[in-house]
Amino acid sequence: MSERYTIDELMVTTLAREFTNDTRAFNGAVSFVPVCAYLLARRTHAPDLVWAASSIAIDADPKSIPESTLSDGLWDGASMLANSAYDFWAYAQNRRYNTFAFRGAQMDACGNVNNTVIGPYESPKVRLPGGGGMADLSCMIPLIYLWSTTHDPRTFVERLDFRSGIGWGDGGDHRERLGLPGGPQLCVTNLCVFEFHPDTKRMQIRSLHPGVTAEQVIESTGFALPAPEGDVPVTGEPSDEELRILREEVDPTGARLREFR
Amino acid sequence: MDSKLRSLEEAAETVADGSTIAIGGLSMNAVPMAFVRALARRKVKDLTVVAIVHGMPIEWLVAAGCVRTVVSGLVSLEGFGLAPRFRAAVQAGRVEIEEYSEHTLICRLQAAAYRIPYMPTKAGLGTDMLALHPDTTREQHDPLSGDPYVACTPLPVDVAIVHAEAADTRGNVRVDPKLVWMDSELVKAAARTIVTVERIVPEASFRAEPHRTTYPRFTVDTVVEAPWGAYPTSCFPRYGYDGDFFRAYVAAHTDPAAGQVFWDERIAGPETHAAFLDANGGPQTLLSIARGTT
Repeated sequence: MSERYTIDELMVTTLAREFTNDTRAFNGAVSFVPVCAYLLARRTHAPDLVWAASSIAIDADPKSIPESTLSDGLWDGASMLANSAYDFWAYAQNRRYNTFAFRGAQMDACGNVNNTVIGPYESPKVRLPGGGGMADLSCMIPLIYLWSTTHDPRTFVERLDFRSGIGWGDGGDHRERLGLPGGPQLCVTNLCVFEFHPDTKRMQIRSLHPGVTAEQVIESTGFALPAPEGDVPVTGEPSDEELRILREEVDPTGARLREFR
Repeated sequence: MDSKLRSLEEAAETVADGSTIAIGGLSMNAVPMAFVRALARRKVKDLTVVAIVHGMPIEWLVAAGCVRTVVSGLVSLEGFGLAPRFRAAVQAGRVEIEEYSEHTLICRLQAAAYRIPYMPTKAGLGTDMLALHPDTTREQHDPLSGDPYVACTPLPVDVAIVHAEAADTRGNVRVDPKLVWMDSELVKAAARTIVTVERIVPEASFRAEPHRTTYPRFTVDTVVEAPWGAYPTSCFPRYGYDGDFFRAYVAAHTDPAAGQVFWDERIAGPETHAAFLDANGGPQTLLSIARGTT
């Protein structure tokens, strides 16, 4: 890792570069990394990107990011405050909204996510917050982006304790069989970027963050990863301009660091 | 003309043990916390609490021993941390959590409002959420196309409690600006609705601007005047949430004894809503979160 930037900045810029002028996104709770990424993309290469803060405040342009990504501190400058749940859920289902990012305490090779319990549901070792809208939106939204700030074998597991949100399901054509659109596009972690094999829909390394080896990623992943063939690309580093905008304009108080503790 | 205006305590008295209540607001926003505190102080028992995406109200009702079952999509204190009382109670088996996804819960409320057998949705397919309650979120197939879908059965609610900007004593209510989000689903699904408001206004105020009315008087059964009634959550755009309260709450609960002191002194102890606000910094705190009015 360079001294010029930190891992949170690399993850935000990596995610931001995936978004385009056709991205029409919204966010849920504790989503500091994607919120920063939407705002950064909009201030750099994707000025027409749509982002509904908290799924409520469309085109919001907050001066900083508060402790809650579901709170009104994020809504400043919006062109519309959606006044009811209907405004949101209809557009989520008719694909006017097309992009959603989520994460969980556990994630499996096909990008399914658990944010409900560790251990059995009825007698959990750890009761987690719950899936929220994850089970819904993972079924409705075609372009799904996953992220994780804790790339370790406890997070990336072969078998989830509970499937709160669907990625590529059981893999292969499972989503298609359920009549669900699209699926996870990639997963940005603190070590690498995963993509999904076109047929099996299992994760594989797309790029390694600077200084990280494939062995390190394989050891930090609880499910079997194919050893990459040949040279693995290195994740592109943030530019000085991206770093300046992220630090000074998008997230001057460093709210995103709440996800890196 | 009968007035629907009641005190917080009188309104809390109307919630019977064993009721299913639904709490309005969303996470850090517009939660009827003053009413929740009154319920907690009354020590009502065996509640089933429908709380689509929430944190602090669940904490308080669990702390007071009011809750049998939480029906929810998400319980957390967001960037401030996990919900400590809720988490401990579920892990100890004292409180049951019936988890649904957000949208299947909304569908269940809509089915209840429309008095129909179920509301169909694609939400939740392929997840473990459906198998948690196969009777209320049934995976079915459309008889013509064969498409799989989820049939969400009605979720009957005894009492919905929501917080709003203004009401008259007859029960007309204005949410201003009209950010009802999921509250309107609760009001439509519930047999009875209690609304807490920042201020009481004359009925003429509704007649002067009828396009700004959110809930008509025949859908609202009880009105309570509770200025700062969403504190420590926000009431947009009047005031924001009190981040200091959330931080102190989470910090105190890293130690059960300190958590209990916090609970007694800053939440459950104060006799009145005004005393509760004073116990949390009074005017100085309120001034710090005030954002102005419409």
